[in-house]
Amino acid sequence: MSPTFQIHYFSTATSYTGKQTEHLPAPLPLVELFPLLESQYPGITEAVLRSCSISVREEYVDVDGEEGREVVIAEGDEVAVIPPVSSG
Amino acid sequence: MSTTNHPPAQNQQQQQPQPQQASESIPLPAHLDPTTYPRTTTDPTLNTHITLTYSPLDATAALARVSSPQAGANVLFLGTTRNTFGDRPVAQLSYTAYPPLALKTLSGIAAEAVRTHGLLGVVIAHRLGDVPIAESSLVIAVSAAHRGAAWRAGEEVLERCKEKAEIWKREVFVDGGGEWRENRERDREGNLLV
Repeated sequence: MSPTFQIHYFSTATSYTGKQTEHLPAPLPLVELFPLLESQYPGITEAVLRSCSISVREEYVDVDGEEGREVVIAEGDEVAVIPPVSSG
Repeated sequence: MSTTNHPPAQNQQQQQPQPQQASESIPLPAHLDPTTYPRTTTDPTLNTHITLTYSPLDATAALARVSSPQAGANVLFLGTTRNTFGDRPVAQLSYTAYPPLALKTLSGIAAEAVRTHGLLGVVIAHRLGDVPIAESSLVIAVSAAHRGAAWRAGEEVLERCKEKAEIWKREVFVDGGGEWRENRERDREGNLLV
């Protein structure tokens, strides 16, 4: 089996992708995550991802910042797309 | 927008939580499997207790947990499912969480409140899955020596939960359909902000 990481979707990201989770090929530089999702789910960047945060290995990462250019999502990593929250 | 994986609004009064449908052939992730709950984080030193659960919340137990001989003020907040959104009748709310982040965030909020307000204890408990009308989705209990700190801390903890906790609410309407909510849409009086 080729190496993968797992990505979890919530709320509007689940609605848009029709999925709660999936496996994507690893390794993947963080900066290539949004383009990859856009290619699989056209329009998702504008409709959903623009307002979302991203976590890798249970820590938030800054996709647009300097950190985003250095982080590489590795095999077995857990990634989550975190839309604006609504607890309570 | 595409459809969601959530079941229709009818016949959702089940007593036992049911796992949500997994996509494709991938096993249901643990954080969506009710049998992996309740999940808790406790800090005995700060006397903070965080719980995520698919079961009904116990407000009396939450209050008992923060009460102590040193406390002169104990504040209990219950967030409950309201039967309307605007003019539209709501059948129930359904909550999903990402526990690794939600537990960390809620623990941080509780710890900060203890330090800021000198609290004697904090309980934050959030129910997940379907929450019927008039039942509680969120219980917050705080205790302090005096009422000023307890009132202020209670509201502050609530507002920070609403702002930060990695939990999502889906309103399921009586006329069918549902919508994911964002807390940033409305202020604490329910006024539309966006």
